[in-house]
Amino acid sequence: MKKVMIGNHAVSWGVQRSRVEVISAYPITPQTQIVEELSDMVADGRLASRYIKVESEHSAMAACIGASAAGARAFTATSAQGLALMHELLHWAAGGRLPIVMADVNRAMAPGWTIWTDQNDTLSQRDTGWIQLYCETNQEVFDTTIQAFRLAETVDLPVMLVLDAFFLSHTSEPVDVTDQEVVDRFLPRREARLKLDPEDPHAFGALVRPDAYMEMRWQQQEAMREALRVLPEIEKDWEALTGRTYGAIETYRTDGAELLLVTSGTITSTARHVVDARRDRGEAVGLVKVKMFRPFPTEVLREALTGASRVAVLDRNISPGHGGIFAEEIRSALYDVPPERRPRLFGYVIGLGGRDVTPSVIDAVVDRSLEAAEPEREDLWVGVEL
Amino acid sequence: MSDITEPTRTGRDIPPVAVSRTTTEVNPTGSWKYIQPRYEDRVAPCNAGCPVGIDVEGYLYMLGQGRTREAISLLLDENPMPAVTGRVCHHPCEDGCNRANLDEPVSIHGIERRLGDMALAGPAPEPPERTREERVAVIGSGPAGLACAYHLARLGYGVTVFEAAPEAGGMLRLGIPEYRLPRAILDRQIDRIRGLGVEIRCGTKVGTDVSWAELDGFDAVFAAPGAHVGKDARIEEAEGTGTIRPGLAFLKEVNAGARPDLGDHVIVVGGGNTAMDCARSALRLGSKVTVVYRRTPVEMPAIPQEVKEAKAEGVGFLFLAAPSAARIVEGRLRGLECRRMELGAPDESGRRRPVPVEEGRFTMVADTVLTAIGEDCDLAFLPGGVEVVGGVARIDELCESTVARVFVGGDAADLPRSVADALGSGKRAAIGIDHWLRERAGESPPPLDTTALRFGSTGNLSADRLRGTDPIPRTAPVNEVVSWEEMNPAHFARAPRHEDHFHATADLAATFGEVNFGLSEKEMREEAERCLNCGVCNRCELCMIFCPDMAIHRRADGDGFEIDMRYCKGCGLCAAECPRGAMAMSREAR
Repeated sequence: MKKVMIGNHAVSWGVQRSRVEVISAYPITPQTQIVEELSDMVADGRLASRYIKVESEHSAMAACIGASAAGARAFTATSAQGLALMHELLHWAAGGRLPIVMADVNRAMAPGWTIWTDQNDTLSQRDTGWIQLYCETNQEVFDTTIQAFRLAETVDLPVMLVLDAFFLSHTSEPVDVTDQEVVDRFLPRREARLKLDPEDPHAFGALVRPDAYMEMRWQQQEAMREALRVLPEIEKDWEALTGRTYGAIETYRTDGAELLLVTSGTITSTARHVVDARRDRGEAVGLVKVKMFRPFPTEVLREALTGASRVAVLDRNISPGHGGIFAEEIRSALYDVPPERRPRLFGYVIGLGGRDVTPSVIDAVVDRSLEAAEPEREDLWVGVEL
Repeated sequence: MSDITEPTRTGRDIPPVAVSRTTTEVNPTGSWKYIQPRYEDRVAPCNAGCPVGIDVEGYLYMLGQGRTREAISLLLDENPMPAVTGRVCHHPCEDGCNRANLDEPVSIHGIERRLGDMALAGPAPEPPERTREERVAVIGSGPAGLACAYHLARLGYGVTVFEAAPEAGGMLRLGIPEYRLPRAILDRQIDRIRGLGVEIRCGTKVGTDVSWAELDGFDAVFAAPGAHVGKDARIEEAEGTGTIRPGLAFLKEVNAGARPDLGDHVIVVGGGNTAMDCARSALRLGSKVTVVYRRTPVEMPAIPQEVKEAKAEGVGFLFLAAPSAARIVEGRLRGLECRRMELGAPDESGRRRPVPVEEGRFTMVADTVLTAIGEDCDLAFLPGGVEVVGGVARIDELCESTVARVFVGGDAADLPRSVADALGSGKRAAIGIDHWLRERAGESPPPLDTTALRFGSTGNLSADRLRGTDPIPRTAPVNEVVSWEEMNPAHFARAPRHEDHFHATADLAATFGEVNFGLSEKEMREEAERCLNCGVCNRCELCMIFCPDMAIHRRADGDGFEIDMRYCKGCGLCAAECPRGAMAMSREAR
């Protein structure tokens, strides 16, 4: 069934098809339409789920944690300040190994007060132990929502599904809504390995002494590695059923490229047009899209980027006092590459607070990256009068 | 691999998350508590506010559970005529309804009326077994007399009712117009009482057709003759005109089938239900009607719904005015002179006393004046020893008069006067007579704890409590009314009240038929769902859901809950969350 829908509703439909059992959320722009649609679905019977209204995002995540610990498939959605308010509980969810799926509609952090997109809200939660998947299209949002539950429940880690405010959340595109029976074949009912059981009550999340804490963190880290390993298998299953696949990263027209752009989110779609135009003019410019940020796909990225002489990373985020966050992570991934094969890395900070990244902006990035002998500095700010 | 990159122990030794290896049941968190919760059913304000003594909350609970037949049965345990009271009662139950704090009171009268009609449509109950040899005479077949007869019959006594009028019903038939209480309903309701084995002798006035001496054959007598003498309005020049007359006499005439011509302009003096009945009946006889009341709308004792319907039908109202003299022209009433009033200091009824304004005199056109300012009792037929104080018989809590064997009730003994108060009076008399007869028979019944029999200790007596036949299992009941402050409204959703279906008829002169059609069965059920079950556990399970120790369990018999005190740590969440105030915390008994 093909439907034209906004990105937010693509999440809602993905949640509906995933037969989520508990939804708890607090409204915040630009996420609100996700849970509005879900509340309609629950109210009119399209989704057999408990919808728990709460008084804050902190409580929303707490409710999801309780539901997930009891063995239910749980979902929430938020943005920016709402995600920040959840921070403490993000650790509880991940450390509790609870396969909660959350959609975050990327919105820049206040102040100044803003509702427009950038990635600083989710990247600020980098080290909470959540898997992070950044989406490019509404179809990808729908597919990834369903895949996220399978991935989360396979490795017992929570997954944050990320989409750009407005450029995706409020933009309509056709979405092929996979039939329920097909989704059911891909995503079985959750079978929790460890859960609250009134018949056999145990204490969860209690004190752990120094002689055991590190072992738990080690297992969490192992689960992250496992997530990297199983994602291709999960995608393969989904592709067999629907013909659609994405990958932890995607390479686009990278053969023989001198310059590789690295993007995530909706900037990727714009960059595809720029790459096509450049290729048509005979320029060796390619594109690498990073979808999975945690766990970080170091190996595949290193492989994709080694060989090009230049890499331009477009970061819609900033780690103040350092630089663009994707750029820093990629620099680190390339460190082990021998110097003669290691590409020169240009790190661009771009499109913060929802500033539009048009083809001409990306063209300027391409020109600068091809022309400059060296990057002038680690963080190159695009569109800011210096 | 070296120890630096691999964990020192494997996941087989350490679980992936912090989870206790042993069951938490080894930790009796109940040992921490110094206060503990308990279930404690209390009394809803509707029950305490009902002059009849109906377990309103109880039958709404039954109805809410879909147990309609049991709801009807519970209602009939206390009220002999719900189809009547559902139509004509002033429903003080609704005044106390806690739901008013949330949105609007539950339409209890609407539910009662529909249930009463359903009861009449169903099969008549089996007559009760005659378990007592004694026979009781009841004087008067109004609501008090019929209620006494009804409850005595259900307690196993033989009852004979003496009624002066040709048909039974007392003021229900003589005073209340048909458009409020269709005679078919009244007849069927009285037939149900006859069906219990109660004998009703109509056209038999005690003192005239039957002497007191003839009542000696009865073991006890309950006199409920009603209040049939209209108070004099003291209007000058009114004597002998015949067109200034007590409203009650007019109502009796109309209710007996007469259709007198009152002329074009009728003035009704008074602000109670008799005044409303007079006004609306006069309207149906083709007159223009104005009600003149000496106070303001706020002080009117009439049922607000009756006032609303009277206005909708076209009755005019003039407040703060009192009649002073009749204007007679050529021996015929032409007008009524009135004085303007203002409200002074409160009188003994708590209402502000109207006082005449100097200079404030005016005259209204009138062909007939009906006075409805209250009624008195004619108690001359009672035996000499029955003490009368302030126009009513002096009785004790259970209606026993100052003469042995003689009980008095209804309007003849009770204020305020209403159908519901009369029904409640009849029930009290039945309980009093039963107890008196058992004592006389040497059965040494335990003393009646009337406080315990009364709903919320101040409401009317309950027949179910007397017989111990309350069908609802109560947990540790406490006979106190629960207040709104003791409840937790967070769990209640707002829902609008269903109002009665009232159809103002364009051609009123054509009909004395019913104009208020109450609620549909669907609306009745929705209204029952609006009931908050104040003070009473209705098994909503919130206590169980909120208990952080999972120490609350459904009882094995499926009715209610039990608290596992080994694990309840006395946090009080259950009692705080209980929407109905049916849980309490107390210091732990160690």
